[in-house]
Amino acid sequence: MRGSRWVALVALLALASIVALALGVIPLSPRALWLALNGDGDQTAATIVRTLRLPRTLLAMLVGAGLGISGAALQGALRNTLAEPYLLGVSGGAAVGAVLAVGAGVSIALLPVASFAGSAMAVALTLYVAHASGTRGDPRVLIMGGVVVGAFANAAIMILLANQSANTVRGALWWMMGSVGDATMGNVVVLAGYIAVGGAALIVWARELDVLALGDEAAAGLGVEVDRAMRRIFLAASMLAAATVAAAGLVGFVGLVVPHLARMIGARRHRPMIVASALVGAILVVVADVIARTVLPPSELPLGAVTAMLGVPFFLARLRKIA
Amino acid sequence: MRRTLKSSRALRVLVAILLASEGSGCKSPGRNDADTTAFRDDFGSAITFDTPPKRIVSLNPATTEILFAIGAGSRLVGRTHWDSWPDSARFVPDIGDALRPNIEAVLGAHPDVVILYASNDNQGVADRLRSAGIQTVALRIDSIAQFRRATLHLGKIVGEDARARSVVDSVQLTLDAVRAATAGLPQTSVFYHTWDSPLITIGRNSFLNELVVIAGGRNVYADIAQASPVVTLEDVVKRNPDVLLVGPHTAASILASAQWQAVPAVRAKRVFVFDTNVVGRPSVTLGMAAVNIAGLLHPGAIR
Repeated sequence: MRGSRWVALVALLALASIVALALGVIPLSPRALWLALNGDGDQTAATIVRTLRLPRTLLAMLVGAGLGISGAALQGALRNTLAEPYLLGVSGGAAVGAVLAVGAGVSIALLPVASFAGSAMAVALTLYVAHASGTRGDPRVLIMGGVVVGAFANAAIMILLANQSANTVRGALWWMMGSVGDATMGNVVVLAGYIAVGGAALIVWARELDVLALGDEAAAGLGVEVDRAMRRIFLAASMLAAATVAAAGLVGFVGLVVPHLARMIGARRHRPMIVASALVGAILVVVADVIARTVLPPSELPLGAVTAMLGVPFFLARLRKIA
Repeated sequence: MRRTLKSSRALRVLVAILLASEGSGCKSPGRNDADTTAFRDDFGSAITFDTPPKRIVSLNPATTEILFAIGAGSRLVGRTHWDSWPDSARFVPDIGDALRPNIEAVLGAHPDVVILYASNDNQGVADRLRSAGIQTVALRIDSIAQFRRATLHLGKIVGEDARARSVVDSVQLTLDAVRAATAGLPQTSVFYHTWDSPLITIGRNSFLNELVVIAGGRNVYADIAQASPVVTLEDVVKRNPDVLLVGPHTAASILASAQWQAVPAVRAKRVFVFDTNVVGRPSVTLGMAAVNIAGLLHPGAIR
């Protein structure tokens, strides 16, 4: 990938963030935004930008980066361009873990751990089913298995919610559709920690992903223990997805679309691929969140509904190509 | 002689007043509606009662509370999971949900009559209960006027007409007194906090909006018709309410939240806790709810 493209990606992310900070029920001019960020000028604008829009935009960025990296790693390891945490049931499993943890009163910092346990179980189940059709599974069997595991997760959440009040159910459905509306600097710091660890691990293991792409026999010939490499890549990708679910609920299709966009702008090997996916994912989710909170004022749309609107046509086009 | 004439004239005036008031009482549509045993419920079904029911299932917290208030509580044989007022409602068997209730559980209570909340979700339930031979009455209680109407109907149904009237009158007298006490005071603009995630408030069609107005306030989301709209915190900042009305469990978390500090009323600690024993249900406590809210918005205006 050429240097100029990296510069363009970073510039786009910066532009998207500035737009995200400036737009909302009180739109701000660039000058007013600058004053607000420094805590000067109109105090209402300053508090809106500093306590609401800034954490929200940072969280959207991290959610996008986490899902982008997770999607790139899953697609690489499975050699399947339809692989994605949401479609593989990883996110659904994470949601069950999170709902159980909230019910049990677990602290926010440990919520990703509970989500991770749920997502690890879901991904293990999906891979076990897909394994019946070969080492990495038929892409279609894998997606089918993932969708069904996701449906099971939905059913499990509905059962957990059966005895709850109408507002609790409405809140849970809202959360399952994904939102960064409740972002605080605390959420941002927790998610940043998980993404730094998971992302760094996958950047280190990117060479194994490159070798795995050559096929299992070639990889084994080059000295990579295929099963072990696959397992730890899955664990890292699931952890990233689980951490985003714990922070922002289910935001689908980002992990699917982003690696394709990264490939389109020229990322080939997995190391640049993972970094580019993080940047593209961040841009995509920041933009999706701007759409979610500005289209229908004074209310807002669930973030996951916006990303699904963007991602589903893309997925259908890919599916048709494969079939 | 003069004295007799005077007194007989006074008598005639008195008789005329009595006749006039009696006549107007009969013509008043509200009273006429409640005077007949037959009426249409809120699904449009014709309801007639020959004898007052002995076993009642009430699947709406508001109607359960009203039935207790008009002296029919001992006849309740089923209620929803959410009916917690009055305290004695706890001793009525819990049948489950208010919307799409379990019909077998309802039938198992062997009711003479089932009182449903008239929401679209319950249309099928009403049809099936009627086809099972159970008298079913669907009442929508989402406003103060609907509370009055439903209470008078319930009074007729259970044969406690006079008590139903006195409950309605006492609520109305309290509401009128609060309205009079806050009339002429500057309106306090209010954000009413219903739920946190997503952020839910009250719109124009909520009975809580009516109460806020009676209590001398102005709901900052009165421009939205929906009863429970989802809104964004940023928009609350923009609308800049004078005060927040919140439930007892929410106040501390709002005051401690970094996000909520963006709302000037929160920074100024103008976050008031309403009494959930009286505020939140369109029922017999509507008058007390108005007193509670008015006391928060205009301390001193209410004693």
